[in-house]
Amino acid sequence: MNRRRALQQLAMVTGGLVLIPSCDFSKEEALKAYQNLGITEADKQVLTSVVNVILPGKNLKGAEEISLQDFVLVMANDCMEEKEQKSFVKGLKELDNYTKKQFGKVFTDMDAPTGADAFRAILAADTATEKTTENIRHFLGTTKKFAIQGYMTSEYFLTEISPYELVPGGFKGKVNIEETEIIKTNG
Amino acid sequence: MANLNTKHRQNNTYDAIVIGSGMSGGWAAKELTEKGLKTLILERGREVKHIKDYPTTNKYPWEFEHRGQIPAEVQKENPIVSRCYAFREDAQHFFVKDQEHPYVQEQPFDWIRGYQTGGKSLLWARHVQRWSDFDFEGPARDGFAVDWPIRYKDLAPWYSYVEKFVGVSGNKDGLPHLPDGEFLPPMELSAVEHYFKSFVSKKYKGRDVIIARCAHITGNEEYYAKQGRTLCQHRVLCQRGCPFGGYFSSNSATLPWAMNTGNLTLQHHAVVHSIIYDEKKEKAVGVKVIDAQSKEETEFYADLIFLNASALNTNLILLNSISNRFPEGLGNDNGLLGKYIAFHNYRAGVSGQYEGLLEYTTEGRRPTSAYIPRFRNLMKQETDFLRGYAAGFSGSRGIERDLSDVGENLEKGILNPKYGVWGVGSHMMGETIPKEESQVGLDPKQTDEWGIPLLKVNVGYDDNDEKMVKDYIEQVSEMFEAAGFTNIRTRDDHRAPGLDIHEMGGVRMGKDPKTSLLNKWNQLHAVPNVYVTDGACMTSTGTQNPSITYMALAARAVDHAIRERGK
Ligand SMILES: Cc1cc2nc3c(=O)[nH]c(=O)nc-3n(C[C@H](O)[C@H](O)[C@H](O)COP(=O)(O)OP(=O)(O)OC[C@H]3O[C@@H](n4cnc5c(N)ncnc54)[C@H](O)[C@@H]3O)c2cc1C
Repeated sequence: MNRRRALQQLAMVTGGLVLIPSCDFSKEEALKAYQNLGITEADKQVLTSVVNVILPGKNLKGAEEISLQDFVLVMANDCMEEKEQKSFVKGLKELDNYTKKQFGKVFTDMDAPTGADAFRAILAADTATEKTTENIRHFLGTTKKFAIQGYMTSEYFLTEISPYELVPGGFKGKVNIEETEIIKTNG
Repeated sequence: MANLNTKHRQNNTYDAIVIGSGMSGGWAAKELTEKGLKTLILERGREVKHIKDYPTTNKYPWEFEHRGQIPAEVQKENPIVSRCYAFREDAQHFFVKDQEHPYVQEQPFDWIRGYQTGGKSLLWARHVQRWSDFDFEGPARDGFAVDWPIRYKDLAPWYSYVEKFVGVSGNKDGLPHLPDGEFLPPMELSAVEHYFKSFVSKKYKGRDVIIARCAHITGNEEYYAKQGRTLCQHRVLCQRGCPFGGYFSSNSATLPWAMNTGNLTLQHHAVVHSIIYDEKKEKAVGVKVIDAQSKEETEFYADLIFLNASALNTNLILLNSISNRFPEGLGNDNGLLGKYIAFHNYRAGVSGQYEGLLEYTTEGRRPTSAYIPRFRNLMKQETDFLRGYAAGFSGSRGIERDLSDVGENLEKGILNPKYGVWGVGSHMMGETIPKEESQVGLDPKQTDEWGIPLLKVNVGYDDNDEKMVKDYIEQVSEMFEAAGFTNIRTRDDHRAPGLDIHEMGGVRMGKDPKTSLLNKWNQLHAVPNVYVTDGACMTSTGTQNPSITYMALAARAVDHAIRERGK
C-alpha cells in the first residue's frame, strides 16, 4: 500500500523521529500517509498525547512506545465511513482549544493524570444536551476503541504479555480453572 | 493448413477434460488420472500452489495492517463479497471481487466465488455431514421437485471412499438421519456443549447435539503423510491455506495427488466459454476456451467432459453451449436447465449465556463446532411447513476485562482478564424447496470481458422459508431456555440467498429425461459423455453442508465413466 511507503519516506525525511522543534505546525501540509483524514503533523501530536493519556505506560509499555498513534490513524483513515471520519478529524482539531477554554490548558500540555481527568470529564457530559463536544467525544471514543484494539493485538502485547500461539496444537473442551494459572486469552 | 489443424487438434486432445479445479473438479481429476486417463483441468483463475501461494498463512495478528478488517473503501466497492464472514484481510485474495465478475440480480442474491486453483475449497468451513435416505427420499415423500434417482446405499461406499482420503474427524453417533462414516478421532465438545448435549438427549426425544464432522486430520498420520499432509494443529487460520495440510482442500490433496500420476495437465487463466457439440457424432467433443488475459480463443478436445465450475457457473456454461441440436443450452430438451435452484436458509440465529459450570473452561482453539442434526418433520410431517433445518451450536467461556476507564485503570483492566459466564450460540441451516421460478438464465444483452453473457439470478425466499425461520427461532429458544440458558437473543438478519454459499440445482438429477437433466450417474440424459458433478446436479438440498456429497458424487461418476469406457 501507498501508506507504508509514505510512512517509510516520512521516517527517512525526519530521521525516524519527528525532529521538528516545537513551533507552529498549523500551516503544515496534510500528512500524505493519511490522505482521507487531511491532518497535519500538529494534529498527530495531539492524537499522540491522547493515546498517551489512554495508555500512559504505568504498568505496561506506554502507547507511544509501541507507536499506537500510527495504528489509530491507519484505522481512522482506512476503516471509517467518510461521515465518521469528518467528525473524528473535527474533534481532533477542536480538542486543544476546548480544553484550554474549559480546563485552562491545551490537552497536549497536560500530564497523564490531568489528561485522564479531562478525558473522563468530556466523555461524562450528557450526550443529549451537550452538543459542542459531540465531535470531540466521538474523536476520543473512537481513539480509545482503536487504541485498545491496537494495543491488545500489538506485537508487544501478544509476545510479552499474553503470548499468541500461532500453532497451539490442540483443544480441550473441559479444563479445571484452578489448573490454569494465567488466563490464556490467545490459545 | 489441414495438417496444421490436425496437429493442433492432436496437441489439444485429452482423454478427459475437467472444467474447474475446485472441491468437486479436484476429485474428478484425481479419479480420472489415477485410472490412467490423460486429463486436462481448465481453470479460469490464477494458480495458487499449496503452501507457496498462501502469503498470509504464517502471519501474526499484528502483521495485518488493519488487524483483519477490510478497509471501508474496499467494502464500498465490494458490497456483495464483504457480506461473507470470511472476507477478511487475511483471505481476501482468495475471493472474487464484485466488479471483476458482475452478474445480474433479479432478486438480491449474494454470489460468493473463488476463482483460482482449488476454487472455494481453500475457503470453506470444512463441515462434512453425510446425507441419509431421510434426505434422498424427501422430494418423493413430501411431493416437491422430482424423486432422486439414487438412494443412500448408492452413495454410501463413495462417501467412505472420499472421507478416507479427505480425512474426516467425527464421532460415531449412530444416528439414522446423519449416518456415521470413516472417522478420525473427534474433536472435543466444550463443557457447556457437553452439558447441552446430555440435557437435550434426556429432555427431547429425537433431538441430538453432536460434534460436527469436519474435514481435518486428527489421526492416521502415516496414511496422510503420503499426501504430504499432517495433523491439524488447531491454528484456526484455515481460510489462509494450511501449511500442514491439516484440512482438506483441492490444493493440498486431490490436485497434487493427480499431478503425481503424470496424467494431469492443469491449465490456468482458461475461461470455458462453452461445450462443443458435434451434430454428426451426436456427442460433446470438446470445449471452447477464452484465455483470461489475452482473450485468445482455443479449443480443447476430449471424449469425456466433467463439468465442475461450481453450481451456478456450471449452469452458465451449459446455457451458453448452443448448437442447432440444442438451441436452448446443452442437454436442455425439456427447458428445465437453470431452473429449480435452491440453497440453504441461514437467516436466523439464537444466542445466550450459561451461568453454570463456572469451574471449567476450554483450552486451545477448535476449527469446528457442535451440530444439531435436523429433527423437524423427520420421521413424519408435523408442522405447517415442509422439511426442516440443522443448526450449528457452540459454547465457550467468555473473558471479560474492565475497559471502562482510561489511564492506569485501563491498563489494570487490560492486565486482569476474568472469566465471564459461558456464551452459547446457534445458527440455522434450513432446507429450501427447489421451485421452477427460482432460476438462472443468460442476460440477452450484457456480456462480460470474455464475451460470455452475464448470468441473471432470480432466487428468493418463500412462505415455507418464513415459517421455518420462525420455527427454528421458537424451538432453539425454547431448548436454550429449558437448559437454563439466560439472556437469550434471537436474530433474523434477512440475508439474501447465496450468502450460505450452498447454492444448488439447475441441472438436476432424476429418473425421467422429461423432468430432469441428469441421470443417476450424473450424465446429461441427452449428452451422456458430459457429467455434471458439482452442486448444479442437486435435486433437493437437504440440510447438510453439501460439499462432501458433491465429492462422493464426482468419484462415483468417474467410476461409472471408466466402466463405460471399458465396454
Ligand atoms: C466461507 C465458506 C464456507 C463454506 N463452508 C462450507 C462447509 O462448511 N461445508 C461445505 O460442505 N461447504 C462449504 N462451503 C461451500 C464449498 O466451498 C463449496 O460447496 C465447494 O467449494 C463447491 O465445489 P465446486 O467444485 O462446485 O466449486 P468451487 O470449489 O468453487 O470450484 C469451482 C472452480 O471452477 C472454476 N470456474 C468457474 N467457472 C469457470 C469457467 N467458465 N471456466 C473454467 N473454470 C471455471 C472456478 O474458478 C473455481 O476454481 C463454504 C464456502 C465458503 C466460501
